[in-house]
Amino acid sequence: MRRAAMWGALLLWTAGCGEEAPGVPFAPPRAGGATTIDNRSSLAFMQPANNLLPENDRPHRDGDAAFAAIFVPAPSRINPGLGPTFNNDSCNNCHLRNGRGLPVMGHSLQRTQLLVRVSLPNGTPDHPRGAVPVPGLGFQVQDRATVGIAPEASLSLSWVEHAGQYPDRAQYTLRSPRVRIVPTDGSALPPDMLMSLRLPPPVFGLGLLEAVPVETLRSLEDPDDRNGDGISGRMNEVWDVATRTLVPGRFGWKANSPTLVQQSAEAYFNDMGLTTPLFPEADGTHEVSADVLQAAVFYSQSLGVPARTFLDDPTVQRGEKLFRKLGCEACHRETLETGAHPVEEVSWQRIHPYTDMLLHDLGPELADGRPDGAATGTEWRTPPLWGLGLTQTVLPYSTFLHDGRARTLEEAILWHGGEALSARDGFRALSNDERGAVLKFLGSL
Amino acid sequence: MKRMSLPLRLAFAPALLSGALFLGGCGDDAEPCCDSPDSKINSELIITFADQVVVPTYAKLATRLTELDAACKALATAPSAEKLNAAKQAWQAARVPWEQSEGFLFGPVSGGYDPAMDSWPLNLADLDKVLTNGDTLTPEYMGNLENSQKGFHTVEFLIFGDGGTKTVGQLTPRESDYLLATSAELKRVATVVHALWTQPSDGNPPFRDTLTTAGKAGNTAYPSIHAAAQEIGDGIIAILDEVANGKIADPFDAGDPNLVESQFAYNSLSDFTNNIRSVENVYLGHLQGETKKGTSLQDVVGVGSALDVKIRGQIAASITALAAVPEPFRESINNAAAADKIRAAQTAIRTLLETFQGEVKPLLTK
Repeated sequence: MRRAAMWGALLLWTAGCGEEAPGVPFAPPRAGGATTIDNRSSLAFMQPANNLLPENDRPHRDGDAAFAAIFVPAPSRINPGLGPTFNNDSCNNCHLRNGRGLPVMGHSLQRTQLLVRVSLPNGTPDHPRGAVPVPGLGFQVQDRATVGIAPEASLSLSWVEHAGQYPDRAQYTLRSPRVRIVPTDGSALPPDMLMSLRLPPPVFGLGLLEAVPVETLRSLEDPDDRNGDGISGRMNEVWDVATRTLVPGRFGWKANSPTLVQQSAEAYFNDMGLTTPLFPEADGTHEVSADVLQAAVFYSQSLGVPARTFLDDPTVQRGEKLFRKLGCEACHRETLETGAHPVEEVSWQRIHPYTDMLLHDLGPELADGRPDGAATGTEWRTPPLWGLGLTQTVLPYSTFLHDGRARTLEEAILWHGGEALSARDGFRALSNDERGAVLKFLGSL
Repeated sequence: MKRMSLPLRLAFAPALLSGALFLGGCGDDAEPCCDSPDSKINSELIITFADQVVVPTYAKLATRLTELDAACKALATAPSAEKLNAAKQAWQAARVPWEQSEGFLFGPVSGGYDPAMDSWPLNLADLDKVLTNGDTLTPEYMGNLENSQKGFHTVEFLIFGDGGTKTVGQLTPRESDYLLATSAELKRVATVVHALWTQPSDGNPPFRDTLTTAGKAGNTAYPSIHAAAQEIGDGIIAILDEVANGKIADPFDAGDPNLVESQFAYNSLSDFTNNIRSVENVYLGHLQGETKKGTSLQDVVGVGSALDVKIRGQIAASITALAAVPEPFRESINNAAAADKIRAAQTAIRTLLETFQGEVKPLLTK
């Protein structure tokens, strides 16, 4: 019933606006297929999928509650189990309004939202493609703890500015992070310790990305750049905790998690110190039930993707053409098709996420030097760009890239290197107006 | 809980058909094509909202939390029944602007400051540990504690006790110290949030300017006036949904008093009422007791129009229905005699929600 209404809406969409070829109804691209919602406010990442089935309204609401639930240390009549060491106390306190976190660390009023992953370069991981833990820190620095327990370390963040200029002499400044880790027990950090910062990414549209068939992503791979376009791209290979096998990775900045259920369970475990059926206590029990874990997963699968805006704006249209011409689309793929998925709403959709879900070498300047699964220290998974223009609406002062170093989309582009070097240099060579058009296009997503 | 309920989304489908959701689709700075020349969706609407509603609410929050901190200091310095009572009243007074800010829970407060003030449940395990461990409560030490053992509800717990039964004789010196440390931090958070709206910080303009320059070139948060107008409408819709279908429904449906906020002070229904007042303030474009200056949502609807009369009636009906629910709400949720009154309050608020969703929101998006 509602689906029919949606198609009706598409046909009538541009009544009163824009230039249409006579007799050809203009159907704007719907970013998330039938899940797409029309909202450009700060609540844009918090709406259920437009095609959410009536019987899934309750599960979605339960997921909403699970995402918002603030955990406290046991004993508590509600939401016990936080810690003993952790980074934050709820999903939504890192993924603010279902969007990003802020690049803040330490004991400010805003807490640590930018996480620090650590590992050692040598040693024996406990599973294939696994990382080697750092004594006292494990794989993630947990800088908070319940009262009476020492946190693993304290964290502080500062920024180093780098001046740059465009070929047309326009000036800009980039910044990169410097993190100080001080272990609470006074021990010295291993000199060869590897470290990677991770900004919490937005959580909408993840079900659609999970529903893209692996064959599709495989078909996009070009690890040896056989077509000679300078873009390789490959899937990560990561450990599936449930099946205890190596599988393709999809989620996270390095595609280091294979499924949303594992990604969510990892977040409960690493970020909040909460055990789940996937990461249980030593005695097999767990603090977060299978139902709550599933509710949180379903929530991220069943959120709506915001529709684009400013489709008829000539500047946006010009920017879109430039985006393609520069070659950005080689990795930030506009269109993917989803296949069968347990969640009906995300199955068989034509979507416009602007990602290929693959790992690419982005060059030394952006590198964290910390391998993750099969990803090298210079590879990152192409992040989706849908909803990008809402970033500052959903959360003022938001920043971009894996560690939040880019204060603007312009800075984010300028950090691209490696396989994206020619696209970046193409952007640098544009006129000021053309650069503005590209940015306005990105803002329309 | 900030989302449309399913029935509302179904009710909204006809609006989809009319293309009413098409938001600023021909947008450039002048937004020429989708605005009629006499459109009430203009920058004045946004400026009134920011300057007459949002900023004064946060200013009042900072003031009232400063007063709460002073009341806690007075109580700690020379404990007496009067001082305890004054602290309780100061807490309730500070709660008013906070709940009245929840109709526009966007912008700087969402950067981690909301949970710093208003986390629930209370982290009693850690709170008890600090009350017995003798550690010195420096600002740095307090900074290391969780939001769930600080903020409004920790202050509430310490001065009201469970069920509002706290007497001054029960307030230990250690609790006094903890109370002071917590109220000082609350004051600091509210001051920061107000400053982020009104003053430049870290190279960013005051957020008030970000909002009121909606649609101007280079505004990445509100690239069109319609986006800012939708923000205003969505804030109202979100809080009405949350009160009816979250704050009331969650504990009521589960019969679980642990899910009730502000339960120590028996302040829950007052909180809900102030959420509705938040909606009223936004709709009218001024706080209670202030005079109207500039365009508000009421003008978009049409002052004195049938829809305006309906909205004001439904706001009043929601507040009346909440007043009919007996406090303590945490007991009423399991009291058969109160069940109908709770449902009536939910119905009244849902009716108002449907009006905003079905009849006001379309005015903001075309």
